[in-house]
Amino acid sequence: MTRIKRGYIARRRRTKIRLFASTFRGAHSRLTRTITQQKMRALVSAHRDRGKQKRNFRRLWITRINAVIRENREEGVSYSYSRLIHDLYKRQLLLNRKILAQLAISNRNCLYMISNEILK
Amino acid sequence: MAVAHTAPSAFLSIPPQKLSSFASPKTPFLGFPVAVAPKPFVQARALTLAKPTPNQIRCQGDAVIPKEQKWMFDESNINGPDIWNKTWYPKAADHVNTEKTWYVVDATDKILGRLASTIAIHIRGKNLATYTPSVDMGAFVIVVNAEKVAVSGKKRTQKLYRRHSGRPGGMKVETFDQLQQRIPERIIEHAVRGMLPKGRLGRALFTHLKVYKGPNHPHEAQKPIELPIRDKRVQVQK
Repeated sequence: MTRIKRGYIARRRRTKIRLFASTFRGAHSRLTRTITQQKMRALVSAHRDRGKQKRNFRRLWITRINAVIRENREEGVSYSYSRLIHDLYKRQLLLNRKILAQLAISNRNCLYMISNEILK
Repeated sequence: MAVAHTAPSAFLSIPPQKLSSFASPKTPFLGFPVAVAPKPFVQARALTLAKPTPNQIRCQGDAVIPKEQKWMFDESNINGPDIWNKTWYPKAADHVNTEKTWYVVDATDKILGRLASTIAIHIRGKNLATYTPSVDMGAFVIVVNAEKVAVSGKKRTQKLYRRHSGRPGGMKVETFDQLQQRIPERIIEHAVRGMLPKGRLGRALFTHLKVYKGPNHPHEAQKPIELPIRDKRVQVQK
């Protein structure tokens, strides 16, 4: 077999990885072996958290809706997020929690009007 | 739906005068650009992005985009940020400490745990529509008459407060009664701290709780308002 040096093959591969980790802190953007490991961990975290992102945002929307719905009920019976969703489903209203939460922040009157409507 | 027979329109009241005291976001958060002075609350509008009417455009001018360049401006903010696809996140102006609400509550004859729970909810900001877990959006709470807080059952002599100095044999145990004689503020602080999140933000939130022994507090300049307690069983039944 003729002698073959690897030349710049490894270096080219590692440069790409180094570019990915170029903004990492400390040794994680300077040392080659650490860079490889940190890129792997970063991609794993990103993959896993793309699924969690959907869960987290839904949690946030539910908490925000619950906060607004519970707040304005001193005079009547205490209304809650669970009852609101139940009434929404009964009236077959397709508003999702994201829209309801954004409504709660930007235009609270609208949310109240919607819940008054579905309460009837 | 047992409440369907009551007057439906009065159920969730839309009190316009109350809305200005809500913690609505300070930064303009609508589907179209607004004038420089934001109104305290927004009239109910159609949910679709309305074309900006002339008195609402600040400095955008008449953005006439040539037909062949329209694709470049597909995702721009010419008509305002997209509020239906980006969940609201508070900007710095939305959680300035100097503009937060201050609440005051008298702890006389209130059940310790129920009171602490309400306080923690208000400090964390979970009663607000603008609640964000990573940002301190809550209010400040002042507790007065901390030495008069009550507990039910035999907790007054049986509830133990423990602390450890770190050295072997350094466990110190105290009953509720003894701690109330010694440092009454610590009882409420201990209770509320256990109900706040543990972490950097939780520790910062804890500094928003101010507990005082007597009926006076030095925060008159902040004009604290009465803390609204929704728990019906927080007051000790005599």
